[in-house]
Amino acid sequence: MKNLTRNSRWLVCDFKFSLKMKITTLLLFVALFNLQATNYAQNTEISIELEEVAVIEVLNEIESLTEYKFLFNRNDVDVERIVSVKVEKEGVKDVLNHVFSDSDVTFEVLNKQIILTTAKKEASIKIEDAQQNTISGTVLDEEGMPIPGVSVLIKGKYIGTETDFDGNFSLAVQEGDVLIFSYLGYKTQEIAYANQKSLSIALLTDVTSLDNVVVVGYGTQKVKDVTGSLSQISGAEIEDRPILQVTDALAGKAAGVTVVSPSGKPQAGGFIRIRGTTSIDASSEPLYVIDGIPVQTIFDLNPNDIESISVLKDASSAAIFGASGANGVVIINTKRGHSKEGVISFDSYVGVSEVTKTLNTLNSNEYIDLMDELGLSADWSQYMEETDWQDQIYRTALRQNYQVSVSGQDEGTNYYISGNYQDTEGVIRSNEAQRVSGKVNFSKQVRDWFKIGTNISYAQWRDVDVTDNAGAGNGGVVLGALVTPSVIGIYNEEGTFTGNPLQPSWENPVAGTDAPEKEYKSSRFLGTVYAEIDLSETIQYKSRFSVDESNGRFQYFLDPFSTDWGRVNEGIASESSNKNFYWITENMLSYKKTVNKHSVDVLGGYIVSKRTASSFSAEAINFANESVKTIAGGSVVNYATSSETERANQSVIARLNYAYDDKYLATVNFRADGSSVFGPNNQWGTFPSLSLGWRLTQEDFMNDDGFFDDIKFRFGWGEVGNDRIRPYAWYGTVAHGYNYVVDGAIVPGIAPETLENKDLKWETTTQTDIGLDLTFLENKLNVILDYYIKNTDDLLLSMPIPTSTGFTSSIQNVGEIQNKGFEFSIIGKAIETEDFSWDTNFNMSFNNNEVINLKDQVIMTGSIFQRGNVVRTEEGQPMGNFWGFIAEGVDPDTGDMIYKDLDGDGVINADGDKTVIGNANPDFTFGFTNSLRYKGFGLNIFLQGVSGNDVFNATKIETEAMTDFKSQTSDVLNRWQQPGGITDMPRAVLGDKTNSDLSTRFIEDGSYIRLKTVSLSYDFSGKFIENSFLSKLRLYVTAENLATFTNYTGYDPEVNAFGSSNLVQGVDYGTYPQTRNIIMGVNVSF
Amino acid sequence: MKLLKNIAMLCVIAFINQGCGSDFLDLEPISSSTTGNSYKTEDDIEAALVAVYNSLHNEFYTWDNVLMGDVRSDNCYAGPPDDVDIWAYDQLTIASNNSRIFNNWRDFYRGISRANVVLDKIEGIEELSNTRKHQIIGEARFLRAFYYFDLVKQYGGVPIVEQTGTADPDKTQIPRNTIEEVYAFITADLEFASANLPDSYGLGMDVDKGRATKGASNALLAKVWAQHPLHDYAKVIQYADAVINSAAGYALLGDYPTLFNGNNYNNSESIFEAQYIGGTPQGNWGPQLFLPPSISGDGWRKYATPSKNLINAYTSELDVVRVNTNIITERVPWVDEYYNADLPFTPVPFAYKQKNADGWNSGDQVYLLRLADILLLKAEAMAYLNEGDFGRSLVDQIRNRAGLANTAATNGEMLDAILLERRLELALENHRWDDLVRNDKIIETMNNLQELNLITDEFVDYDMNENKILLPIPLNEIDRNPALEQNPGY
Repeated sequence: MKNLTRNSRWLVCDFKFSLKMKITTLLLFVALFNLQATNYAQNTEISIELEEVAVIEVLNEIESLTEYKFLFNRNDVDVERIVSVKVEKEGVKDVLNHVFSDSDVTFEVLNKQIILTTAKKEASIKIEDAQQNTISGTVLDEEGMPIPGVSVLIKGKYIGTETDFDGNFSLAVQEGDVLIFSYLGYKTQEIAYANQKSLSIALLTDVTSLDNVVVVGYGTQKVKDVTGSLSQISGAEIEDRPILQVTDALAGKAAGVTVVSPSGKPQAGGFIRIRGTTSIDASSEPLYVIDGIPVQTIFDLNPNDIESISVLKDASSAAIFGASGANGVVIINTKRGHSKEGVISFDSYVGVSEVTKTLNTLNSNEYIDLMDELGLSADWSQYMEETDWQDQIYRTALRQNYQVSVSGQDEGTNYYISGNYQDTEGVIRSNEAQRVSGKVNFSKQVRDWFKIGTNISYAQWRDVDVTDNAGAGNGGVVLGALVTPSVIGIYNEEGTFTGNPLQPSWENPVAGTDAPEKEYKSSRFLGTVYAEIDLSETIQYKSRFSVDESNGRFQYFLDPFSTDWGRVNEGIASESSNKNFYWITENMLSYKKTVNKHSVDVLGGYIVSKRTASSFSAEAINFANESVKTIAGGSVVNYATSSETERANQSVIARLNYAYDDKYLATVNFRADGSSVFGPNNQWGTFPSLSLGWRLTQEDFMNDDGFFDDIKFRFGWGEVGNDRIRPYAWYGTVAHGYNYVVDGAIVPGIAPETLENKDLKWETTTQTDIGLDLTFLENKLNVILDYYIKNTDDLLLSMPIPTSTGFTSSIQNVGEIQNKGFEFSIIGKAIETEDFSWDTNFNMSFNNNEVINLKDQVIMTGSIFQRGNVVRTEEGQPMGNFWGFIAEGVDPDTGDMIYKDLDGDGVINADGDKTVIGNANPDFTFGFTNSLRYKGFGLNIFLQGVSGNDVFNATKIETEAMTDFKSQTSDVLNRWQQPGGITDMPRAVLGDKTNSDLSTRFIEDGSYIRLKTVSLSYDFSGKFIENSFLSKLRLYVTAENLATFTNYTGYDPEVNAFGSSNLVQGVDYGTYPQTRNIIMGVNVSF
Repeated sequence: MKLLKNIAMLCVIAFINQGCGSDFLDLEPISSSTTGNSYKTEDDIEAALVAVYNSLHNEFYTWDNVLMGDVRSDNCYAGPPDDVDIWAYDQLTIASNNSRIFNNWRDFYRGISRANVVLDKIEGIEELSNTRKHQIIGEARFLRAFYYFDLVKQYGGVPIVEQTGTADPDKTQIPRNTIEEVYAFITADLEFASANLPDSYGLGMDVDKGRATKGASNALLAKVWAQHPLHDYAKVIQYADAVINSAAGYALLGDYPTLFNGNNYNNSESIFEAQYIGGTPQGNWGPQLFLPPSISGDGWRKYATPSKNLINAYTSELDVVRVNTNIITERVPWVDEYYNADLPFTPVPFAYKQKNADGWNSGDQVYLLRLADILLLKAEAMAYLNEGDFGRSLVDQIRNRAGLANTAATNGEMLDAILLERRLELALENHRWDDLVRNDKIIETMNNLQELNLITDEFVDYDMNENKILLPIPLNEIDRNPALEQNPGY
């Protein structure tokens, strides 16, 4: 095929190549096999006046004036020959007759393409005519639908045809010919002719081409047409990794997308931030859309079912989601069938997890010494054990995954059915999570004009949590393992759990993992049915109805014997449950038309949705015994409460995509959203966006010797909203339950709980994005650069108000946050040969966050036990600032910490001497993936990292403060003990928190580079497979978090005790550490 | 752009109204009501009033009052040293960022706000009888005064807030009123309450002791005028007499321990009492924080350890009845800075005024106003005014009930005798700090204290001064309301 393209000379002869030429080639194909271009007026008349120019320039001129495209081989056709042309209103044929009158070039007009050949070649073809046979066949796409207009050519010759409307073709061939099937957006396939009478082939989507289709909001777009900023992650990039939750898979995979994985707990999942945090009190999580259904959570989604993930990052691509798009949108599509024969697959892995490090703690003598120094004593002779609590708490945990799927596609039917079981133990004793899920995706083209389909999934989830992010006195297991003295043993003689001799209710951490029986279980049905009706060739109607229903239940029982807390309450049982039901209908009309060089794609739709949520929780205490472990067994009900809420949304959407000559691209979005959560004065919001693209390489002035295959400038602007606040937010609600006792009986009391705000509305994010997409080295290298400025104003702020009002806060639209940043991705196919390939993907993101306006309010958050708030949010500063004293070492005379007296008043106090001591935001984040393949072997190395962020290591406040009966880490062995002592560890002093106050003493650099994934696989092929019933057999070994390079001294720098908090990031407070996971897996297909 | 948006908006709304019911988006809360629909009937306003009483179940009246009145003064030590905020109460190092003072401030104002809601909404209730209406207003104003009294004692002048339901900074970020203005506001509320509340609701003592009555209002007026910077002792005597001679028939119980044995709440001596029912969500979790392991059933170190100084006060008066009623001693496995630094299992005293923990769900009630306090207050007023027997017979009444002989104090010593008698009688009921402040004894008392910390082997330096009489205005509140000025010294 390449021989026929007019740029082949460049490739062969001087190895310079031009993007423009390549694109022209693609356009030639478009033109040549364009179905719609059946009858381009042969009598199109043009006027040209060119003096002494190369033939090629004449051809260019004709291309620009008409829809004709030229197809020829530069080796045969001399296009550098100088000619002069002067014609007025003549047909193209006449012009060409004139141009080629003095040469041996002949031309043939086929639809809108013109093939130039030389007489010599034609002669040779004619000779071969004598030995021709005829082959016929059908060309289908991956779904088994016929593809019209596919080019079918014989390799090395100039004979070809294209498939008709039903995908059929017929061609004269001779033995030994190789047929080349090609079509825009699909991989070109070659098939040798060996006397077959007919053949049927399926073309695979070409994933590397600019014409690859990406998923955007309410539709798809070709990469080359995209004007917004989005990243796509294929399901293949998640494969081979021991991932329980999809969010865990995205870290480092896409520029501008950061995933905060607050802990190593399997049920924790990650929190996604797209281009920074945009909100303070509303959620900053992106909107998730699974198979077209907008959902709130994706923890129970089976990652093995994912085909692709699209992340819409800028306002122009997310604006179609209006009031829920401000944080970006993550569109997840699940797998479909790809092969006509159908594939039965079995995938499984089994592996282990462990903590990457442990911390050294005091042994019994060291502990007793410390207690002596604090003046605390007990009858230590009773406590002679030596227990390594970290050893007791952390374990080598198992994880396993089994997936069976059947998929295929045939005659308009596409199906994918899967079942999955995933079981992940946490590295902390008793912690585990399991999921069983099933999935059915089905679609059928019932008539030419009518398609119907459904995506259904059902999942059951179960987990057992452990308490982390809490002090040992509050049942925190991680801190419990660090500060429980080693001397006390696990059990007392009577079988109860031991406690600290100096504070017996502080029991050992095994009490925290083993004593409570707890379990969370949920089930979820997620289903959608859709129909697509082609009303005409240009107008399509789509209708979709979806349901998301989930039920969750948490149960807890603490027996009345084994723990202090259980004994005091004589047993505790609690239970809470929640039900969520969500339905959404979407009705869309789309119109697609190309006229001359104008192509227009219009979408309009109407969306209605409603969510109902109810919850119930109750607790009972005072159990006679352990025989009944539910609330029914308790004799005193502590509380029983329920709530029910609804929220409704209505939306109208409209989109216009316009392209001129594939050169100038524009997309305009409009969405109007009405939401029940906002005040009557602002119930409706409008969200417009505009984006423009300019494919520079399509311009004439870009000379043929250009280095680039494609250059596209993108510009996008848009407004999107965030409505992620509680239902009824604008109402002044009055709560029941403020009861009192009159005459020995409880009487009901009511009191206002929230303040009314009739003006309440969504927060608005206005984002401007400038992007540049570069493709070069023969499409082998892609560089995508984006710069954005993102302003979020009318923040939905739970504004702290004077408590003298009787309220602590009021939801108001105040304040403004700005995120601006730069991000880039480099995607390359460094090497691609039959035996060896090397794909690489590097992305890097820089984001700068600043609170522009907060109405002079200072928000202190991130409460550290007994030390106050460590995170300060204020105007003119980035979010995530740590606030505290500047520690200047330990005074050799007193052994106390020296703090900098910033206001110089001679006294160290919180009012004047605290300042910004760090920031949790990284300077940049990056991900670097390398996939190497040699024959059957595959090696995938994924590095991920962040740089320039601080972690506030509040764990050390618990493990190094030396203020009470807690055991500590071995670092305190360096503590100051006598005047003149030079050390960085202050003295032990009972009950005095001054030395361990919030200060730079606990700030650490949280930068890290992590060898996130290393995966080695072997794909069996050749005789072994051919002689078996298998079609695929693949084995792999994967290690996650194999090595982490960091200066952080705690367990792991990827940490946040405050989970998904917008304001508080990077605080380590007895947080469940990240784990190292190693698995062995197998993929088998039949 | 704006115009375009509006036109588009109109089209959209027109379209939607065709397509879907226009009330689709107008959803009202299901499991809570709204300020718009909650205050319509008599039952509604009664429920709103109940919520004002509910503030008596907040942390301050549950246990912080003991920290404030007894731990802060010479009556108690803090307890566990890991609770640094409470430790600061004991050591008199309370800083403006102490979380407890902010929580208390917030809770007092929450109660005040609920009272303001009642006063605001009651005008719209039509079916209400005039008598009940005035009672409700009286009850709300009594409770509002009750909460403001605690505010003004602890923080000095605080903002007087009468409106509800706004977050407008112009109306909410208001400066502090003066101490005198707050007291004037309190007395106005109480004078209305005294005039409009009944001596008895006629439904028995379980109702009369739990609800605001004329007697409660007069008792509070007596306390307010005593604590007032002007110390109007004539008014103290006037309102104390109103209580003593009340038709409600207030009378001391014959036996001091009976008051606190848990079986005789809502008795004739009680004037106003926080009501609880054990084993329900309206149970009292406070006692669990004070009672020793043998009673509470848990093993951790408890709060408000009675001080050696307090125990000495009982011992030197040979006050066996009251020390045994108020304090229990138990051998514990932990060290205590003041009792057993070296040897575990030496006896440590515990606050024992409430005697039942019942797993954080006690039925023990809290006396907020009781006759013995009012009698001693009257005695104090008489002694200040050099009136009659200088309050001697009132003091003797209290002493005799506790099994002690008449006081041996001369007239000149009566004020000291009364202060001591109040300490012995009212220990662990949040009176000591206020008593010392009112009698201008707080600074010398705290600075004269000799409390030996056995661990450091040093006497605690309380460094008491004028500034520490008041708490700092909570920093968290100043952040919310920059118009607030901090108290001197903080």
